[in-house]
Amino acid sequence: MKNSVFFNFLFLLLSKHKSKHIAIFIISILIVFLTSSILFLKNSLQKEVNSTLENQSDFVIQKINSGKTQNIPTSWIDDFSSINGVTSVQQRVYGLYYFMPENIYFTIIGVDFFEETTNKNIKELLNILNISDFLSTNSMIIGNGVKKIFDKYHYFDFYDFKLSNKNLETIKIFKDLPKEANLVANDLIIMDINLAKQILNINEDEATDIILNVPNNLERQNVKEQILIKHSNIRVLQKDELKKMYENMFNYKGGIFLILFIVVLFTFILILYQRYSMISSTDKREIGILKAVGWSIKDIIKLKIMENFIVGFMAFIIGVILAYIFIFILNAPILKNIFIGFSNIQNDFTISSNIEISSLITLFLFFMIPFLSAVLIPVWKVAIIDSTKSMK
Amino acid sequence: MIQIKNLNKIFYENTKKEFYALKDINLEIETSTCVILKGISGSGKSTLLSLIATMEKPTSGEIIIDDESVAKLPDLHSSNFRAKKLGFIFQSYNLFNELSAKENVSIPLIPVGFSQKEINEKVLKALEIANISHKKDELVSNLSGGEKQRCAIARAIVNNPDIILCDEPTANLDFDNSIKFIENLKELKKLNKTIIVATHDPIFDNLDFIDNVINIKNGIICE
Repeated sequence: MKNSVFFNFLFLLLSKHKSKHIAIFIISILIVFLTSSILFLKNSLQKEVNSTLENQSDFVIQKINSGKTQNIPTSWIDDFSSINGVTSVQQRVYGLYYFMPENIYFTIIGVDFFEETTNKNIKELLNILNISDFLSTNSMIIGNGVKKIFDKYHYFDFYDFKLSNKNLETIKIFKDLPKEANLVANDLIIMDINLAKQILNINEDEATDIILNVPNNLERQNVKEQILIKHSNIRVLQKDELKKMYENMFNYKGGIFLILFIVVLFTFILILYQRYSMISSTDKREIGILKAVGWSIKDIIKLKIMENFIVGFMAFIIGVILAYIFIFILNAPILKNIFIGFSNIQNDFTISSNIEISSLITLFLFFMIPFLSAVLIPVWKVAIIDSTKSMK
Repeated sequence: MIQIKNLNKIFYENTKKEFYALKDINLEIETSTCVILKGISGSGKSTLLSLIATMEKPTSGEIIIDDESVAKLPDLHSSNFRAKKLGFIFQSYNLFNELSAKENVSIPLIPVGFSQKEINEKVLKALEIANISHKKDELVSNLSGGEKQRCAIARAIVNNPDIILCDEPTANLDFDNSIKFIENLKELKKLNKTIIVATHDPIFDNLDFIDNVINIKNGIICE
């Protein structure tokens, strides 16, 4: 059989059988679109989070009292600095600030502008600053989400923070961060560390937690044990554990969707199988005629498989393109909020384009193999029947 | 030459519904002859045609066509045999209604390995022989019964087969179209085709180009 002739006939049949394939085509597009969207979003978010965590310190140390985290004395910095292999021991100050009109929380981060911060994200955000101008008044830099809310309540230049002693502290809005930083900084307020302590009601000789680095991978477990020996009432969080925690979170959310996908795909394959099993008399007759005029079982199966492969492949390509547009151009409305949550400030960060070819290939195989199997088996069953019976 | 030896076809074998469609058929049909298989509905003539066409397999016995036993050929060989040596004209035409006459006629040539150009040439020739070339681009669903039958004839002869089998070819045709069909058969006979027609239509009685009439009753050839 000449391939060109075969494909001419195949496309002729496809064009004539449009109505027969349209329902399967649309459902296939929908399934591929949903699954690809989830894969694209999950991969993209996971990559963003991983790169964010990559810039974090190796260890975070928190003080625990009666199972609750408490502010940690800054004097402990010296204790941890004395451990061999430890570098860049720093205090961190951050906390949630309640914004009553919207019933939401902002995250305040205090930065010591005279010390080199280990957090590259903050460093990058601060690169845009003229530090002397910034520190000349009580100033803050705000994330895009915070800016929107402040604008809504006409806080264009200043905002008055309420302190624990019920006084108000007026802080100038020095700059707002670009939308591109939204994934890590949407609800952030960055200010001088002492100012942050004042607003968050943290004593001057205390911090929220202490961070440190251990450049030698092999030493980390040993250092962790020594940290725990120094003070008994602490919790030590390792970066790798945090990474795993985030991975689990996205895998869990992505997993729920993937289970749904498998259920939908399974149902779809059953419908497809059913459709071909209860093959219509027209389809049976068609196969019977082909056999009667000299087509072999192999030729007929090839025709039917190719016919359905083209339908499935087109649906796959269209589904993936639609998913790309939905996630990376339209910025995944609805789905994004399910993944990142929007209980606090609604985050409208831009999702950066990140496609893993291996995921796409896996999806393609997981879609096409059951799809074609659901067609192949019933078609083969009809093709082996005597053509006189098929044509009756 | 077609030789049929001790041919039996049993349906529902070894069940309560066991039924002999053909019983111990022995027959010889010379090349380039036209033979009529006569008999009432259910007599077994269509089953005999299907067995000769290798579309069904006999329960026992042999069918030898040009010194080759075709009764129990595996699928790949039987389909190849049908594609190259055989043309079949069905009672209900068995055409693809959504395709044009030209497209329908081209179908038997696709698995054979011809180029598109060769296929187009052969299809046009077959349509001309069957007197339907003027409707080549018309969808089969828009053709009349007689035109469909001529389209089916074109499809049966497009691969230039040695043998043409016709199963109740005039059953769905009016008298005028039946006469036209007989004229077509006559033309095919002139092309040295072996033609076997299974029919109970009296219009085939006493035709001058018919070489032999075989009566079948209850699956048995009657003398």
